[in-house]
Amino acid sequence: MSEGVGNRAKKTARLTSGLLLLGLTLAVIAMLSLATGARAIPLENVWTALVDFDPNATEHRIIWDLRMPRTVVGLMVGAALGLAGAVLQGATRNPLADPSILGIHAGASLAVVLGVAVLGMTQLSTYAWMAFAGAGAAMLVVYSVASLGREGATPVKLALAGAAITAVLHSIINAILLTSPRTLDEIRFWQVGSLSGRPMDIALQVAPFLTVGMILAFATARLLDGLSMGDDVARALGQRIGLARGMAGLAAVILAGASTAAAGPIAFVGLTVPHVARAITGTGYRWILPYSMLLAPILLLGADVLGRVIAPPGEVQVGIVTAFLGAPFFIALVRRRKLASP
Amino acid sequence: MLRSTMVALAVFAGSALPAAARWSFVGNDGEAVALDETPVRIIASQDAAAGLIPLGIRPVGIYADSAVADAKVLQGLDLSGIEIIGQSWGEVDIEKAAALEPDPIIGEHRPLDNSWSGGDDVVAALSPLAPLTGPIQGYSILTLIEDYEALAQSLGADLSASDVAADQAEFEAALSKLKTAVAANRDLTALAVWAGTDALYVAATEGSSELMNFASWGLNLIDPEVAEDRGYWETLSWENADQYQPDPILVDNRSEATMETALAQRTWTLMKAAEAGRATDWPAFWLRNFAAYVSELDKLTVAIHAAGANLAP
Amino acid sequence: MSAKADTSRISAVRHAAATRGRNVLLGLALALLAAFALALYLGDYPVPVSGIVRSLLSPLSGLADRSVDFIVLQVRLPRAILAVLSGASFALAGIIFQTLLRNPLASPDIFGIAHGASAAAVFCIIILGWSGIAVSFGAFGGAVLTALAIYFLSWRDGVTTFRVVLIGIGMAAMLAALISYLFTRARLNEVQQAMAWLVGSLNAARPGDSIVLAGAMLVLIPLMVGLVRALDTMELGDDSARALGAPVELTRLGLMLVAVGFAAFATAAVGPVGFVAFVSGPLARSLLKGAGRGFAQAALVGALVMLVSDLLAQHLLPAVQLPVGVVTGACGALFLLWLLMASGRSGRVN
Repeated sequence: MSEGVGNRAKKTARLTSGLLLLGLTLAVIAMLSLATGARAIPLENVWTALVDFDPNATEHRIIWDLRMPRTVVGLMVGAALGLAGAVLQGATRNPLADPSILGIHAGASLAVVLGVAVLGMTQLSTYAWMAFAGAGAAMLVVYSVASLGREGATPVKLALAGAAITAVLHSIINAILLTSPRTLDEIRFWQVGSLSGRPMDIALQVAPFLTVGMILAFATARLLDGLSMGDDVARALGQRIGLARGMAGLAAVILAGASTAAAGPIAFVGLTVPHVARAITGTGYRWILPYSMLLAPILLLGADVLGRVIAPPGEVQVGIVTAFLGAPFFIALVRRRKLASP
Repeated sequence: MLRSTMVALAVFAGSALPAAARWSFVGNDGEAVALDETPVRIIASQDAAAGLIPLGIRPVGIYADSAVADAKVLQGLDLSGIEIIGQSWGEVDIEKAAALEPDPIIGEHRPLDNSWSGGDDVVAALSPLAPLTGPIQGYSILTLIEDYEALAQSLGADLSASDVAADQAEFEAALSKLKTAVAANRDLTALAVWAGTDALYVAATEGSSELMNFASWGLNLIDPEVAEDRGYWETLSWENADQYQPDPILVDNRSEATMETALAQRTWTLMKAAEAGRATDWPAFWLRNFAAYVSELDKLTVAIHAAGANLAP
Repeated sequence: MSAKADTSRISAVRHAAATRGRNVLLGLALALLAAFALALYLGDYPVPVSGIVRSLLSPLSGLADRSVDFIVLQVRLPRAILAVLSGASFALAGIIFQTLLRNPLASPDIFGIAHGASAAAVFCIIILGWSGIAVSFGAFGGAVLTALAIYFLSWRDGVTTFRVVLIGIGMAAMLAALISYLFTRARLNEVQQAMAWLVGSLNAARPGDSIVLAGAMLVLIPLMVGLVRALDTMELGDDSARALGAPVELTRLGLMLVAVGFAAFATAAVGPVGFVAFVSGPLARSLLKGAGRGFAQAALVGALVMLVSDLLAQHLLPAVQLPVGVVTGACGALFLLWLLMASGRSGRVN
């Protein structure tokens, strides 16, 4: 019917312009991230630093050595977390799914704690690799445990397995931290989730993984649409459910693992952003994914900027700000029944 | 002054009594502990052990805040034959402690929150076994070492033994070298810091016994302007790392990670001294004996000379 | 004729169920007794069985031996008693929630009450500088406040499992962030103290802790029994029950408060030991195989799990005393594996 096509065209137009608007907002927030910080730097100097860099100028060094890597890492981590959350929620048909609930963050944390306590790692770039490995291992364990039994990894079983594995890993982490104050002293800052102190090398190391993850995630968009109709319908339509879930899971692990490696475990972004995206776009992962990918860094960088200015001369880490912003918002969402089932 | 007199009186009182040696010690919480005989079997906290072992008193058991290999305060000490009854903060194996049949428990008292080494749980666990006493974590490492000497002497140590006397002599020598260096370089200002990935923490002199010692020997230490945590630390964002321009910089050396973290920060070198590599160790909160103090003082002296040489035209 | 056969069959089934329930209870009680005896016997300070018996009887017989009595009566006995009481409390909290919300996932550990207690305790230790009993009070207050907050935030013409769990997870995340924030603001030794509390341990078992907990249980258990009886009326379903005039919501709220009370008092006594609440109800139910609700059996299972975990924590590794929370965590993991495999076979969860 021409009406249906017309509506769809209108919807596409609306969503595309929405996407552009989001992109613009993101650019503004990125600029804000470069211009704000514990040290007040006037805007002209920020601009000069970008276009006419002087290695001897203290302010220029701060912009390029501290704020630029921070902004870049924030963009990448945000996009990765948003995508990972959306993909996980679609693959598990579980509005609760997010990297921390499925054990990815706990696995990354344990790997880092082991690296610091047992292998004596001290530098962020080395234990970033441990985080990635731990995230992958945890997700594998959760998925395997959830797949035991006849039905395979249903949403309920995944959530159960994830929650349990997370709790187990946390008790091991706490046990190690109790016996090693040195490790506790280092980990308590990493575990909060922070964008500060991340040099550009981290961004460069993590970028390839994020790219692969993003490509994989977008490739699963159609599969996720199929899954969202329910296992039986999907099967009837000829979809290969196992393949869909596997690909989605892999994408999520790569994205979430790499972002945890870069910034530590940041909990709320992967959980809340897909819901907001869905509220705007309706169903259809073709739109949910790019919207999540743009909304999440806006949230993350916004939270980071907030954290830089609310507690001078120190800072509040971004993981804490997102939790305090995200939780009430999420609770409000739950109360208003806006939780559309993925 | 008053405290040393009290300690001396207690020791004197104890030694003045004949034959059946009554032992008595006034701990720095003000409570006097008395036993029928000079105690032989001692359970000590890791700090107390580090204070007593170099003076010749070997405890039978030690409770540590962390794995012994990680404990900076116990490094270099010979712990053979000593039972480790706790390797994590706040936890001791009560039964192992009971099996050791201790006479006193020796820890350190923190007057700020009226607590003892290891925290309330450890105190609750160990005090039924034997009386708890010990010196104060106060405003000077030197005084703390002197308190340990008094305690050791009351426990029967011979402070004139060759190795003990040698340690003291080495310390006097190192101290005079430091004082000379400081006197020759009065224009220097030093800064004590702890480096984390999210912020640079500047220490106030008042919060640390060894910094108080350094200040009393003439070293100009910068005190932070705005400080939290009872005024002991200022949190500086790395963007503001050049808030102060000290020379030399003293970096908390409880863990090698701290210096590595500092070096990895791009704005660490906004401090000119850092750029020139003039950052040295700050033995933060863990010194308990002359031997360790000597090596740390030597490092400080070298750093002061280097900083002074830089200032010289 | 057939009606009579039916009623006699029903009563036969009911009788069998009651017998099974009693048998399971007896079996659990015996196992608990054995574990308790083991807890009194094992330890680094060697005490022969005769010594233990003599110590236990010493208040009556007057025969005392200072050091052995200290170990048996002041160290091992209080610890074992606290393990039993706290294990039972956690288990009852867990099974009440699981029954009310009709979901095996519903455990106070997971959706925020334990986090509330922890956040309050960490706040007390780091910001207020408290220690000991005061921290326990703070933890208790935190648990109750969090539970109330979750309840009222999920209330919208009644409370659904979905909403309670979701909001609980949201609150848990926020509280976890609060704890992390406090950790970054504190000095290392305060963080260590808070960490030690967070892990949950029976190491500092004082007789006072057990007395408070026992007192609380003496009040809460009768309350629970009364409210559960009311709950039975509601088995017909909310609508019919409302038609019968039963105050459904009030009973639910009451039971939830009782459960929170159990969890809060137990957490205040030993810290947030995870998984006991989660595991005990399902384990008891599987032993009973449908013969009854299993509250009493769950309490004994919880006590057993806590006691055995503590024994393992103390004696499993030679040089190290693990906190009990680590072992219960491992138990929880094993249990979940079992649950998943069992559900796989039967095709449903629980």
